[in-house]
Amino acid sequence: MPLADPALGGGIRVRKLSHDYQRDEQRIEALSDVNLDIPVGEFVALVGTSGCGKTTLLDILSGLLESLQGEVLLAGEPPSAGRPDTARMFARDALMPWRTAAQNIDFALATRVQDTDQRAQRIQQLLDAVGLEEFADAYPGQLSQGMRQRVALARTFSLQSKFVMLDEPFGAVDAMTKISLQDQLVELWEQTPSTTVVLVTHDLGEAVALSDRVIVMSPRPGRIVADVPIDLPRPRSVKALQSVSEFHKLVAQLWDELGA
Amino acid sequence: MNTRLGIFVGRSLVILAWGLIWELTARYELLPPAFTGQPSVFLQDFVEHVADGTFPTAALITLQAVAVAFTLGGVLAILTALTMTVFPTVERLFSPIIDALNALPRVALIPLFILWFGLGMLQKVASGVSIMYFVLLSYTLAGAKATDPDHLLLARSLGIPRWRVFNQIIIPSAVPAIFAGLRLGLIYTVLGVITAELIAGGKGLGTLVSYYSNTFDPNGVFATLIVLVIITSTLSAVMSRIERSIGKWRDPVQL
Repeated sequence: MPLADPALGGGIRVRKLSHDYQRDEQRIEALSDVNLDIPVGEFVALVGTSGCGKTTLLDILSGLLESLQGEVLLAGEPPSAGRPDTARMFARDALMPWRTAAQNIDFALATRVQDTDQRAQRIQQLLDAVGLEEFADAYPGQLSQGMRQRVALARTFSLQSKFVMLDEPFGAVDAMTKISLQDQLVELWEQTPSTTVVLVTHDLGEAVALSDRVIVMSPRPGRIVADVPIDLPRPRSVKALQSVSEFHKLVAQLWDELGA
Repeated sequence: MNTRLGIFVGRSLVILAWGLIWELTARYELLPPAFTGQPSVFLQDFVEHVADGTFPTAALITLQAVAVAFTLGGVLAILTALTMTVFPTVERLFSPIIDALNALPRVALIPLFILWFGLGMLQKVASGVSIMYFVLLSYTLAGAKATDPDHLLLARSLGIPRWRVFNQIIIPSAVPAIFAGLRLGLIYTVLGVITAELIAGGKGLGTLVSYYSNTFDPNGVFATLIVLVIITSTLSAVMSRIERSIGKWRDPVQL
């Protein structure tokens, strides 16, 4: 564990975190005694079977859910919804159908940047970065699922937040589109070295391809059962990784850790 | 394109065949034409009454009441829906009362409206409003509740204040339902006004229907019904067009 990392003061620190919720008269233990440190600039994936509490953990880190027991700190402060240094991306694109691609990005960006020209400029840069420069004025209904996800990705990174929380961002797209979206995510992240990313996914290949480190969680109640460093070189190309044997070895190792 | 043309031809043939059977049963008195009317006669009546101004005058009087009732009922419904969405307590307080009023057959209220507002335009407007208001209110409320939970979650994660969530998410989400409610409400407003005219008389199309019917002139009734069909289908088509153009999603809120 990189507990002594001097950068950790600005990173994510989770101590003795437990969480449960009520469902139909029953108390369900979602998380139990989770301890985790993520240094600044690290890309971490949370994996586990469905219902293992990984999204609960992400919701707590995003401030959308209040933790019941334990300590959670992002850059020394407890998480809260609307913190300007935190950005959250959802499983579905959450684009508003009555706004164009550019206006959808602006919906988020306007909460951080006042100057309209500056916003317009950054929106154009981001659309360029995700290969949608010609679709600024297209409505979501006119875009494919992959393109919509790209807009959502651009919206998330437009905030230039220190902490980015991604919840199964590419769960809804086909395998080919997925790889190109993953490459775009890696590119966006590699441009901002001080951004810490927490990615929730059930796709082990995705977890290995994108992350510096994969955290494996057990079925309910969720606890951390393995912490696997991914020492693949950067900058990475997800497409190129598909033919690297080390990549497949790591995926196989994760399958073992999951006990599948 | 070919199938669309085929369907159009098919439909025309169905209508023609129906008209022909109707005409023949009336002409050879297989059914008493004094009750069923006769297409060749009522089409002629229709053309005559359009030419001599009977139908245009009556239609204008009816449409005036429809326009006032539609506007008044619509504005009141939107204002009520806004209040209920901003203050959920108001909705909890009033929704059972509104449901009960909405379940009441509005025709039963017309004698009361006549008592209150007399036999003129006002009672017709009251009848139209009593229908329009509830149709649009229920559509608008349903639309406001149909907001995508992901949009609300996104707004929360961005720390967007409540009034902006209302302006920029809840209202635009409700727009399609509001337009559906306007289209349906318009047709029902015509219904409310015509019913009031049937009962109270005056000079509108409803009055003509009841006049022809009371004077045993089924052809006059059918000729008036043609006017009504033309009016309601035109209104419906215009509303659908407006609805479709809104469906292209122009951002209703300035950035």
